[in-house]
Amino acid sequence: MRLKLLVYGVLLVCCVPFVFPIWWMATTSLKPVSEIFAFPPTLLPTSPTLEAYRQVFELQPFGRQYLNSLYIALVVTIGTLAVSALAGYAFARIRFRGAGIVFVIVLSGLLVPNEVTIIPLYRMFDTFGLVDTHWPLILIPMLGAPSVLATFIMRQFFITLPAELEEAGRVDGLGRFGLFWRVCLPLARPAIGAVAIFTFLHSWNLYLEPIVFLSSKQKFTIPQALTQYVDAYGGPMWNTQLAAATLSALPVLIIFVLAQRQFVEGLAQTGLKG
Amino acid sequence: MTLLLDKPTSRVAPAGKAPYWTMRRRDTLAGWLMVAPQLAGIVVFVLVPLGLVVWYSLHEWNVLAGTFNFVGAENYKAMASDARLGPVLRATGLFSVGLVVLNLSLALFLAVLLNQKLRGTVVFRTLFFSPVVVTLVAWTIVWGFLLQDNGGVNAFLNLFGIDGPNWLRSGGTAMVSVIVVQLFKNVGLNMVLFLAALQGVPAELYEAARIDGASAWARFRRVTVPLISPTILLTMILTIVGSLQVFAQIAVLTQGGPGTSTTVLVYYLYQQAFQFHHFGYGATLSLVLFLIVLVLTAVQWRMRRRWVFHEA
Amino acid sequence: MKKTLTAALTAAALLVAAGCGGGSSSSKSDAPVDLRMTIWSANAQHLALFNQIAAGYKKDHPEIGKISFESIPFDSYTTTLTTQIGGGNVPDLAWIFESNAPDFVTSGALEPIDKDADLLPSTTADWEQDGKLYAYPFSTSPLGVFVNTDLVKAAGRPAPAQQIASGTWTWEEAAKTAAAVQALGKGGVVVGDFDYKGWDTLNAIWAGWGARPWSEDGKTCQFDQPAMVDAMTFVHNLIFTQKGMPGPGVTKDFFAGDSGMILTQISRAALLQKAKFHWDLVPLPKGPAGDYSVVGQAGIGVFKRGKHADAAKQFLAYFTNAENSAKLAQFFPPPRKSQLNAATLAKANPLLKPAQLDSVVVKGIETGTIKPSHTGYAELQQTVRAALDPLWKPDADVKTVLSGVCSKINPLLAK
Repeated sequence: MRLKLLVYGVLLVCCVPFVFPIWWMATTSLKPVSEIFAFPPTLLPTSPTLEAYRQVFELQPFGRQYLNSLYIALVVTIGTLAVSALAGYAFARIRFRGAGIVFVIVLSGLLVPNEVTIIPLYRMFDTFGLVDTHWPLILIPMLGAPSVLATFIMRQFFITLPAELEEAGRVDGLGRFGLFWRVCLPLARPAIGAVAIFTFLHSWNLYLEPIVFLSSKQKFTIPQALTQYVDAYGGPMWNTQLAAATLSALPVLIIFVLAQRQFVEGLAQTGLKG
Repeated sequence: MTLLLDKPTSRVAPAGKAPYWTMRRRDTLAGWLMVAPQLAGIVVFVLVPLGLVVWYSLHEWNVLAGTFNFVGAENYKAMASDARLGPVLRATGLFSVGLVVLNLSLALFLAVLLNQKLRGTVVFRTLFFSPVVVTLVAWTIVWGFLLQDNGGVNAFLNLFGIDGPNWLRSGGTAMVSVIVVQLFKNVGLNMVLFLAALQGVPAELYEAARIDGASAWARFRRVTVPLISPTILLTMILTIVGSLQVFAQIAVLTQGGPGTSTTVLVYYLYQQAFQFHHFGYGATLSLVLFLIVLVLTAVQWRMRRRWVFHEA
Repeated sequence: MKKTLTAALTAAALLVAAGCGGGSSSSKSDAPVDLRMTIWSANAQHLALFNQIAAGYKKDHPEIGKISFESIPFDSYTTTLTTQIGGGNVPDLAWIFESNAPDFVTSGALEPIDKDADLLPSTTADWEQDGKLYAYPFSTSPLGVFVNTDLVKAAGRPAPAQQIASGTWTWEEAAKTAAAVQALGKGGVVVGDFDYKGWDTLNAIWAGWGARPWSEDGKTCQFDQPAMVDAMTFVHNLIFTQKGMPGPGVTKDFFAGDSGMILTQISRAALLQKAKFHWDLVPLPKGPAGDYSVVGQAGIGVFKRGKHADAAKQFLAYFTNAENSAKLAQFFPPPRKSQLNAATLAKANPLLKPAQLDSVVVKGIETGTIKPSHTGYAELQQTVRAALDPLWKPDADVKTVLSGVCSKINPLLAK
């Protein structure tokens, strides 16, 4: 009993640096500007106002930008799942010539920071007239460096499946794709869940690429939109930024709360476990 | 636990006297088809750009004037004599080591706490994970406020009679601040990975150890750690690679200061390429970054045999 | 196999395409011409005005298709602009910071534009090379001191306006007022956008000592010269001894009523629309080197490698003609002699009184020194910022730090 109390106590203390900034972000978005810099900071707004939330939608097509972020993240998630499940399966369960070298090539993608390749990528997409479209934000994460982690997780999952499963399927006359689609993929739900959440979050948080590739407000994504809440002189409108940030974090938080069991257990069942 | 380059588990039955399309050939075709999208993506979106970066590094590229002149090894020579590079690499190392050590220990600590059979751990799990879903820019801006000399952190310390330092303004604490902001942002992810790994440790093993009279610490040290070592390796690689790419935090919180104490390599190459317009030199620096990541990962990979536990 | 081959071919094609420089395409004769101007304001009122001017232009120019104004965040403005240019997606027109002026003007990236005789010579100096003008200085905004008169009164100090009348509006007096206000728990005097990083904004102070960061020809560092040492010693005292300026890491927002005075561009008066305190706008205090004023600037340039350089030039001429300049004046003080009078400006700046406009704006633009600039400014900016950081501690030795700055930037200046 003592021990339990101690664990709870430690957990509570540990919570502070995680929760307080979010609490502060949410409550400060309700404060008038003059209160934001008050010292000591106030825990609750003394005169709450929804003014900032009104401005979020008034100054920019925030709803539209929200939808952009959402649909890009969804497309990237689905696309990544397809790409990484196929590749992960092949790397895990098929012995084919060149597999080793291909795997090393693919893994190298994990090691190249996006700042390194942003300029050549920009030139490539510009060559095809795809700057200021959502294509770079979809294609690069789906096929490029960020998808490697997904492929890796998928591979680690498929590798744990017993060989007998596939042999049974083979007896039933299934080919490679049949084995993948009918036998292995249905078992991969946990890995799919984990990859989906990773991928969605990555796309949702993407910052450098949208800033470089997009230029019309109608096409912006949320992280980029946050930086646009500035007054006439480039001075940030703090409470409006924080209101927009709160709006952008809430739905993902809710999805996590609902899906977290799937997520944690999914990870536990992939090859990531001990 | 099977890892990366170990052989796949599938055992292909030796084909009989088959025509051209042997099992083996069919598998090779299927394998190539299945990895084709991923491979093509890596070639087009990673390797080709990387090749271009190497090409750029041999040039002096003035973006404004639109001039692009071959200079051979000039950029590499400039790098060898760049007095700023030393401190930059030191800051990079400091940041990465600090972040990895703190991140892995805190993640593991929290995961162990949450792995106790207690009510309400789901709530805590969610709370610890929540910063992961907050947009990085927003998270950093918020901490920027809290770490001000007259900000929330010091107000909190004041409650205990502590006169907090000016976090973002003196060399030592600025680095600590940047590390801590990154730590709380992402430790939840590693925590969940560890939690997943812990839940995969069979309870019988603990029981056996308990019967042998092992203390709690000994059980952790001798049973838990070896069993989750593959996850430790994975999180370590991911965290190191991630730490070398830290950018937005530095840009928002310190802009590399005070002095150059928080100018890490990515930020420095960003400055050179995008702010100072030395694209060729920036490309050269980014190759250095790539090499560092490559070497570090390779070293960890080699070392894994020493300490990563393999199931028999 | 086939797919990898395709991938390899695509890759090779891209290599060729990306290798051969950008922005070579020219406009087709009959397709509508689309123009794009990058700006750093995302302000709705600004954009509404720009779009209104653009609509007026399109009425008389059927060949023009779309004119878009692309807002890029202030902090990453030059970076994003450079990426676009480097990537071959060159905008037709762009706002340019004064400090980057030499980079853009000397690089040959800009198209020369026509010089209107109405433009004040002091406003175009930074944008010229070999007698040609490379950007229109559309915003020429003098720095003034906004005063929270309520706080000054509460601190028991005479209002700056009174001191001006009696000829005692000096930095020495201003520092006393600032310290008295800060003693109330507010901020004393704040230098706008300084935040202990944007050291060049301190120009608003050191110009009063006749100090310069580097020589006129840009070749030698002058941080270690006596005038600069005196000025910076004054600033250091103001922060750490007199305690009249909020220290590093402390934010006191003037516009929210948290500080006594702020040195900033007069165009920020708009932020005071809803102020809950009484305020005044006065010229910069007198320094040891006498009266002085300081001007902030921004230019609009036309890119040579943009797709429609000629059309862009024509549009720029329209955008900045006398009539539109008068409209823009409500946000951006004009560089035109004919419009630099309190009457024109008052129409555009209803918050400011004619006397304020006359003393700060008109005189300021006519006589003001412009912020320091230099080729390779971003690198200088960062290098000085890093070298100055040790100064922002109570026990810093001003002279040593400033000599340190010079040893760091002299190699850059000599380039």
